[in-house]
Amino acid sequence: MTLQTSAIEPSVPRALIGVVVDNALVLALVTVFAIFSFATPTFLTIANLQSILVNNFTLLAIAAIAMTFAVSVGGIDLSVGTAIDFASFAFVSLVLAGQPVAVAALAGLGAGAAVGAFNAVLISGIGISPFLATLGTLFIGRSIQQLLTNGGNPVYLPPSGVPEAFRFLGRGAIGGIPVPLIIAAIIIVGATVVLTRARFGRVALAIGIQPSVVRYSGIAARAHVAVAFILAGLIAAVAGLILSATVTVYIPSSGSAFLLNAIGATFIGTTLSRLGRPNIPGTVLGVLLLGIVANGLLLTGLNFYWQQVGTGLLIFAVLALSFITRRKA
Amino acid sequence: MSAASPDEIGDAIHLDGIVKRFDGALALSRASLRVRRGTVHGLVGQNGAGKSTLIKLLAGLHQPDEGRIEIDGQAYDKLTPHRVEELGIHFIHQDRLLVPTFTVGEALFLGREPRIAGTPFLDRRLMHRRSSEILDDYFGVKLPNSALISELSTAEKQIVQITRALLDQPKVLVFDEPTAALVRREADILFRLIRRLRDDGVTIIYISHYLNEIEELCDTVTVLRNGEDVATLPLGETSAAAIARLMVARDIADLYPKRSVTPGKDILTLDRLSAHGKYQDISLTLRRGEVLGLTGLLGSGAKELIRTLFGLETATSGQITIGGKPARSASPAQAVDRHLALVPEDRRGNGVALDLSVTENITLSSLKRFTRLGFLDFSGERREADDLIRRLEIKTSGRNALVRTLSGGNQQKVAIAKWLSRHSEIYLLDEPTVGVDIGSKVEIYNLIGDLAARGAGIIVLSSDLAELIGITDRILVLFRGSVISEFVSSQTSPDDVLAASTGSSEVLRHVG
Repeated sequence: MTLQTSAIEPSVPRALIGVVVDNALVLALVTVFAIFSFATPTFLTIANLQSILVNNFTLLAIAAIAMTFAVSVGGIDLSVGTAIDFASFAFVSLVLAGQPVAVAALAGLGAGAAVGAFNAVLISGIGISPFLATLGTLFIGRSIQQLLTNGGNPVYLPPSGVPEAFRFLGRGAIGGIPVPLIIAAIIIVGATVVLTRARFGRVALAIGIQPSVVRYSGIAARAHVAVAFILAGLIAAVAGLILSATVTVYIPSSGSAFLLNAIGATFIGTTLSRLGRPNIPGTVLGVLLLGIVANGLLLTGLNFYWQQVGTGLLIFAVLALSFITRRKA
Repeated sequence: MSAASPDEIGDAIHLDGIVKRFDGALALSRASLRVRRGTVHGLVGQNGAGKSTLIKLLAGLHQPDEGRIEIDGQAYDKLTPHRVEELGIHFIHQDRLLVPTFTVGEALFLGREPRIAGTPFLDRRLMHRRSSEILDDYFGVKLPNSALISELSTAEKQIVQITRALLDQPKVLVFDEPTAALVRREADILFRLIRRLRDDGVTIIYISHYLNEIEELCDTVTVLRNGEDVATLPLGETSAAAIARLMVARDIADLYPKRSVTPGKDILTLDRLSAHGKYQDISLTLRRGEVLGLTGLLGSGAKELIRTLFGLETATSGQITIGGKPARSASPAQAVDRHLALVPEDRRGNGVALDLSVTENITLSSLKRFTRLGFLDFSGERREADDLIRRLEIKTSGRNALVRTLSGGNQQKVAIAKWLSRHSEIYLLDEPTVGVDIGSKVEIYNLIGDLAARGAGIIVLSSDLAELIGITDRILVLFRGSVISEFVSSQTSPDDVLAASTGSSEVLRHVG
């Protein structure tokens, strides 16, 4: 009842709170940014900001966008790392075997999409909950990688055998902007458009909010869920390609390093959005937030082992912020 | 005992002048219930008459605002569920109280497990002996104490509930709709048990929609209407039809704006449609411009029939024809493509998405119309939403407001607007005015009339019989899975329809 009246006649303080709620993420970002600029002189330098974007942002942003698609349909994808790894393995192995980089890259994308399709069969076909299905995929994927690499041996590309296109993908730049960052930007824009302006995105969000209504509206909800998980695998595969092109090696199960941060960024973005819906800009800002905190803590000279405490506190702070703003709004 | 005069027997339960309000709404206004010891006392009334509130007061789950509760001649101020059980009053609810993952033994003895003397260990042997004595004596069945509740049939679950009560040697047993999910043979076993318990001196309160059961089983019946007890009668002096008349309010105001539409071509035909264990041999024809009423008690199969038409359940045999083509839908998506629309009873669960906006809800089914090359046409959506908000007079702060912020009646209008946007032609409305205030109800009735006037075929499933008669052209009554009678709405009364849906024998003779 109060909600209804307030929506009709927003008072001035209420409108102010509205601005804060809408921009809670930006506010959090600015705050964290200001703290670190003040705390350490090296934080606010061009070199460091570049380093944040290259080292703390690109790959995680892509992985988190993959996660956001799974979360948008009310699921979660614990196997984003598996898709990253499979893509990376296929890419590196085929380049090592002398295949053209384009062919290897396509195979890598296919491998990631296949991981997503496997999840889709488990979730939409058989009806297993996304959490358990993708957890199963995570375990199976880990074993497959160990079997393929004789117990977890990395697959190196010899320095002489790295094709130019491969190197360009990982370390190249166009007009001074690193190629991985350009790819990430394209994915960010594309995913935002799909989730906010495409019919698929609307249906996906509706499924995430109230799946039974979608079904009762005559929409094939399961097919949309399947597509969301395949998209998640495909997008994660892009991160896998960039990862292996950057370090010119495939290390088994290295993709799992992105899992928890991707979940964190996605839910920070969801929690601090006005409607509490999964959204790409929110996820991206969540990634930036996590990246800045990780980088900033490192620069303050704090013991490396304290870094995860910083991440944990950040998540609590986000929750507290959303709690305060929600309750007043 | 039966030799003693009524005065000497006394009351087991006496609820006197009970008043109970919930959030200001009057649930009970001076309701009384007086149950003599050692009798089977029926309690009947339409949905919302106050039966369940009265029983919850007796169970100690609510406290009365006014009035007096006497048990065995003694007045009690603050009853708690625990105290009530100590007084020997037990409740047999449909599908409640039993944890599916418990074993029969755990369910029977939960909270009062016998111990081996002087030890903290459960006396499993004693538990088994006591439960199998009762199960064998009263029911002639054997249920292993180790069987899981979830493995039992509905009838067996009920046996466990009753056995649990009998282990306590109860003085009063309250049965709340005990036969709703039982087949006839199981119900007969239950009736024999109830008579035997009464002869053993146990007092029984029996709540049921099935008036033929009340007629068959009870010594006395109390009829509730609008929170009051309108009559308490010995069964020898009344009949199911008379009880039905007492249950239905007389003063049906002129709140059903029925417009006369000349029905057009057949739009939906069912031919001997059956679903095993749910309904059998349902045949009906719906025409354009016609509003067809469907009613029946829980277990009548009416709800399942509607769900089958919309592709949520499957029929085992028979034909559905829409516009001359076979149209058994395997999924709601298929049904919607055939221009079927379902406004489900569980509005907040299945009808509208509470955390989507009014616009997003309205266009959810018709998104394809607002898509160009996969992308949404936002301005088209806005126009559609504004148009329907205006036509249906949906009261909202704006098209972007979350549906959660709307009142029940306006949420229901959104649930209907969704199908108008989809250009649906056959509307299945399941309890369309449940939880809707009276003003919005009339608006929804008008809307149904508009739809019919524009050539849609409409099936309304409702247990509000005055409403059903007021807004439909014809009414089909389902009873235990079959169409038991058909009424022309303008030539019938709620009494007749109710009597038919409760399987009352007197009306059956008229019809059949």
